[in-house]
Amino acid sequence: MSTTPDAGLPPPPGGAVLVAEHVSKWFGDVVAVSDVSFTVGRGVTALLGPNGAGKSTMLRMLAGLTPPSSGAVRVLGADPHRDLDLTRRIGLVPQQEAVFEMLSALEFVRLAATLAGLDDPDGAARRALGVVDLDPTLDRPVSTYSKGMRQRVKVAQALVHDPEVVILDEPLTGLDPRQRLQLIDLFQRLGEEGRCVLVSSHVLDEVERFGSRVLVIAQGRLAAEGDFRAIRALMDDRPHRIRVRSDNPRAVATGLLDAGVVVGVHLVDDRTLVADTDDVTRLRRSVAVVAAGAGARLYEVTPLDDDLESVFRYLVGR
Amino acid sequence: MTAQLAALYRLMLRTQLTRGRLAALLGLGAVGVVVGFAIGRAEVVEPLTAGTRFVNVFGLSLLVPVATLVFASAALGDPAEDGTLVYLWLRPVPRWRIVAAAVAAAATVTWPVVVVPLVLSALLTGAGADLVVGTVAGATAGMIAYSALFVALGLRVKRALVWGLLYIFIWEGFVATANTTAARLAIRSYARSILSDATGVTLRLADFTVLSSWLVPVAVGVVAAAYATRRLRRMDIA
Repeated sequence: MSTTPDAGLPPPPGGAVLVAEHVSKWFGDVVAVSDVSFTVGRGVTALLGPNGAGKSTMLRMLAGLTPPSSGAVRVLGADPHRDLDLTRRIGLVPQQEAVFEMLSALEFVRLAATLAGLDDPDGAARRALGVVDLDPTLDRPVSTYSKGMRQRVKVAQALVHDPEVVILDEPLTGLDPRQRLQLIDLFQRLGEEGRCVLVSSHVLDEVERFGSRVLVIAQGRLAAEGDFRAIRALMDDRPHRIRVRSDNPRAVATGLLDAGVVVGVHLVDDRTLVADTDDVTRLRRSVAVVAAGAGARLYEVTPLDDDLESVFRYLVGR
Repeated sequence: MTAQLAALYRLMLRTQLTRGRLAALLGLGAVGVVVGFAIGRAEVVEPLTAGTRFVNVFGLSLLVPVATLVFASAALGDPAEDGTLVYLWLRPVPRWRIVAAAVAAAATVTWPVVVVPLVLSALLTGAGADLVVGTVAGATAGMIAYSALFVALGLRVKRALVWGLLYIFIWEGFVATANTTAARLAIRSYARSILSDATGVTLRLADFTVLSSWLVPVAVGVVAAAYATRRLRRMDIA
């Protein structure tokens, strides 16, 4: 696994389908993506990062919706912003919720099929709606659909022309757990069929289910890439900060230091201490024992930096 | 090609024709009908002159450009703004087809909304067939140019409605009335010339030949559509 941007990485198994080479994108003074390089092959790859990290901008560049300010993007060896024919091979589920509200699902997906130049747009649209488990005979406008149904319509229009590359920007946002599982299963099937599927998300647990390969982007930079399990381990192994509230924090602090489960302790007030540890699991197991041994009562044990933002900040700062 | 163009055209007809827009513009058209009726009842000495001047001021200077602006600026401006343009852009469709469908849909929607009330008001003035012919021809020529121009404007700027109204009232309504040279740069001058030629009523700054009165609006439409196509190719899609 590589945890730093590196254009010299070997191509992923099956050959590179998506290639970003030193890609940057700025809007006026705002740098959205900064010198990002990676390759993505067939199968499912997750693009993970907090909101505002530059994921959507990166996906828009890969889909050809906007050119990079510097660097190069290649999809199946071609420039997606200039090569109109390449759109036959790319399916995109954009992040924005807006669709043509007055159309029914079938009309919307059939429009996509017609514009893709398919011979039988109606048949293709019905098949695509079937893939996402939507009833093609549902004769009411998309504006009346639930969030989950709209999301599936968007997926259907992206798949209607049977693309080799499927790019999905936060496709699970707003869905209930059952709908999430259905779509995750679908993405995995698409990957197993040999398509290149790139899915963005800001939810770590969601990404865990997509597949093993992950790109982590934060603050516009590629923070890590490689196997999800290795990245997860890296995230779990980072120094953690835990707040412990007790009636005798000094005794608890001494006990934790003696047990060797913390690398530093800071007493905040007469009820609170903050401990730094490299092994949060061991600390969680030990703190109750240490407190009992010191005759102290525990009120609260809270991780202070367990949110994704701090994980990404750590990865970027390494 | 035909299937793509037809699908885009149908889509844009449906997206442009909202109830709010239609009600507002039909209301405006109804005002014209009422005024035409009033002119007809007033027993004016020269109904043709009065009718021609009314169609020029109300129809060609207000209803035609404003109605076309409302529909045409929304044709691609709305999808660009709400993000649905991505569903058209990320398809193997030559960009000129998207623009052509937008212009054709805008003209299709605008034409009856504008021409029906104007023809009604022309009839009600009692000025005769020449005024009706001049009204239909002048409005159609203006609409050809305005449709493409405002489709391009919708792609070029945010708040295209405001910019379009500034163009209609400040440029065409004020600056371009200064002299003949300035009038050459206003679409309504050519529409007005067609009306004047059909009715034989002399209108100020309406002395272009019939040929140029048709050629210039068509040329403006072609150039504006070409610009919109170029813009669509190069723009960032949200």
